[in-house]
Amino acid sequence: MSISVPTLAAIRYGFGLRPGEPPPQDAQALLAQLPPAARAELRFPREGITGRRETAEKIIALRRAEAKATQNGKPNARLRQTTQQQANRLYRGDAVARIAQAVTSPYGFHERLASFWADHFAVNADKNLQMFMLAALHEAEAIRPHLAGPFRDLLKAAVLHPAMFFYLDQNRSIGPGSVAGLRNGRGLNENLGRELIELHTLGTGSGYGQADVRAAALILTGVGIDAPRLDIGYRPQRAEPGAFTLLGRSYGGEGRGEADHRAMIDDLADHPATARHICAKLAGHFLADVPPPEVVAPMVAAWTASDGNLTEVYRAMLEHPRAWQVGGAKIKRPFDFVVSGLRALDMPEKQFEAMMAAAMPQPDDEDEAPRRPKKNAPRHRNPGFARAMTIWALQRMGQPVWRPTSPAGFADDAASWLTPSQLAERIAWARMAAQWLAADREPADLLADALGDAAREDTIRVLGQAPNRVHGLAMVLASPEFNRR
Amino acid sequence: MDFPNASMSRRGFLVSACCAAASPILTPASFAAVPGDNRFVTIILRGAMDGLDLVQPYADPLFAKLRPRLALTTDQGLIDLDGRFGLHPAAASLMPLWSAGELSFVHAVSTPYRDERSHFSGQDALETGTLQRNERSGWLNRALAHMPRQSDRKAIDINTSMDLILAGPNRAEAWAPQSDLAMAEDEIRFLERLYAGDEGFARVMAEARNTDLLADAIHGDQKRGEGIADMARLAAGLLSQEYRIASFSINGWDTHVDQRPQFARAVTDLSLAINTLKEGLGPQVWGKTVVLVITEFGRTARENGSGGTDHGTGGAALLAGGGIPGGRILGRWPGLSEDQLLDGRDLMPTGDVRELAAAMLYRQFDIAPDRLTTDVFPGLSFDNGSGYLRG
Repeated sequence: MSISVPTLAAIRYGFGLRPGEPPPQDAQALLAQLPPAARAELRFPREGITGRRETAEKIIALRRAEAKATQNGKPNARLRQTTQQQANRLYRGDAVARIAQAVTSPYGFHERLASFWADHFAVNADKNLQMFMLAALHEAEAIRPHLAGPFRDLLKAAVLHPAMFFYLDQNRSIGPGSVAGLRNGRGLNENLGRELIELHTLGTGSGYGQADVRAAALILTGVGIDAPRLDIGYRPQRAEPGAFTLLGRSYGGEGRGEADHRAMIDDLADHPATARHICAKLAGHFLADVPPPEVVAPMVAAWTASDGNLTEVYRAMLEHPRAWQVGGAKIKRPFDFVVSGLRALDMPEKQFEAMMAAAMPQPDDEDEAPRRPKKNAPRHRNPGFARAMTIWALQRMGQPVWRPTSPAGFADDAASWLTPSQLAERIAWARMAAQWLAADREPADLLADALGDAAREDTIRVLGQAPNRVHGLAMVLASPEFNRR
Repeated sequence: MDFPNASMSRRGFLVSACCAAASPILTPASFAAVPGDNRFVTIILRGAMDGLDLVQPYADPLFAKLRPRLALTTDQGLIDLDGRFGLHPAAASLMPLWSAGELSFVHAVSTPYRDERSHFSGQDALETGTLQRNERSGWLNRALAHMPRQSDRKAIDINTSMDLILAGPNRAEAWAPQSDLAMAEDEIRFLERLYAGDEGFARVMAEARNTDLLADAIHGDQKRGEGIADMARLAAGLLSQEYRIASFSINGWDTHVDQRPQFARAVTDLSLAINTLKEGLGPQVWGKTVVLVITEFGRTARENGSGGTDHGTGGAALLAGGGIPGGRILGRWPGLSEDQLLDGRDLMPTGDVRELAAAMLYRQFDIAPDRLTTDVFPGLSFDNGSGYLRG
């Protein structure tokens, strides 16, 4: 079986085909998306980057004042509750917007890379009140603008961000021998140092040990969130004094200061193990659960030759013949399944936007309970339905937006996602979509829209005999080839 | 205070006093002779459960020194187990099991994973049963192939995605409490045809169909929730039918900051899971069940500067069920003094958690020890004289 390059480009390197959107013609076209995509408007955070920083700083300041009042015996439970609800609502709105962004963006490769890197530098909105407001900000300002340039810029932006600091407890990490550490007996927290080495750069099994993790954590002391502003700052009184050896290099010592952690992060970005780790992970994400070594090798070579320029690394992958081999080895993750399903359905823009608006938190719903739908309102305007098609679907399928259960992000292999339970969830979603969002369409037309020349003969034949139209439509989205790439 | 190593068995397993006198002396062979309808449940506590908080060595004054903010006293609700160890108050609902000899704790166990203290590598080691980084199958999956009775090889992960412990070459399934395959018969037939040419999809569709029928009966007209109790209830329902092995995970154990409330919540979840399993299985099946509760590693012996604990090494495991040597604190206690800790920071592991798992597999399913030490847990030292098999 052969599948044309544009179809493969859309399915394997984007979020699938979308009627009215010409698929990328080749590798060059995929790479050409990256510069304009970085300038394109983003749907989240919904108040924009500056707006979100203002809202979040305001809510955090309120909470800080309340915490002080509590210490003085005057807790304000009502304020705690309302700020928590506000933060919650910001998160849920952003999560819907994140799905809408991936559905409507014409830059599918950029969107996939944004998902990949947001997952690589995973943060979890569930961690605390701050994180509910900052997870979207992290992706918007730390990940997306940097995903096509030097890796070390992306690394610094993603790691030295308040969201990552809250998530991995960097704000709680104080040099035990620092002025602040000696004063109040608070100590080191190794979380960020560990994940920086293990997940963000070198990768497990690359030859570092506990001493390196501890050294990284000690070098990072002093760096923290510059409250009340959501900026990263440096407080020498928290920094562990002395010199530290990490992977054979020395940091700190005379002139211990703000430059140390930046030098360490740059060195970790430049380490050969980092290039190998990231290139294998990219190939593992786009091509096959076990990354093909013949593709990883030229990616690593491109990394070395370009000093870690990610566009050149993507190019090396996309220009390898193996990148265009037919096979569907990867199972789409739930986010990719839902987004590509919504793309294939070809809802009129107005209807799609109305459904996204219905999925957003409503002014009068204080918790998860959806507003009672208006009588006779079309289904896509029903908040319960709109959420079942978007954020709740991802929750049920095990990939809620910005809420991975660990800093390693979500699983990315067939063994994890091709399971009876997962299949049942996807069939259920496909049936809802077919019944309420596509019931006037012909299954064969939806098949052509969704899969183009990637549709299998088997699917075409079975659809032609489907017992009813809705089931025929559902089978398009439930088909193996729609769930593989 | 010194911890007397009074009742050490052949391999130096400390056995606490509670029920030792009451339990009959069983030879290893008599465990292996149980007829073939035993059940086995693994619960993975993800995030590194703090064994020293769950089962606190409260009689050792060093403990309160290491953990001025976290160590509890019996006045604060800690439940004495044997005069030396006390159970966290959030696990109070498990005490009837302890008294009935249906609950044991194993202290100071770990996988062979050392030094890096990463959750992900630690969980990989726990689930694959090896330190081979390229191993992509779980030990519970590999064990299936070595069960002498075909009818025992029926395993399910209570999850929408498959956890590593049950992933691998042998058939295992995954089903979540909220999943439902509500369709007309002809529609299901068409899906089966749609999947016929794709081996992976054909297989999971067949499994989905079968599990869905069973799950429908278990749920009845109850709401299909997604909580811990829902998972345990579904596991119990499936184990009451043709399934013999179930696995699920409980998250929320990574208590770096403000451990007290967070740990209490997680322990409440764990207690609820075990009690729900017992209730759902009913006395007869519970009597043939072993629940093995494991985590990737323990946490630092000292509390940290944020009212929490950091990644450590030696941890704790739990055994529950009618088919276990119950009412005991197993394992060789290493002590808490500076020189007894690993690297001066972690509880020293004195037992391999894989040996505990191997012992339970041997006991429940008669898997030959030489299979357990080669294919299931390559390189493990285990035989039918293991201290974990002694009553």
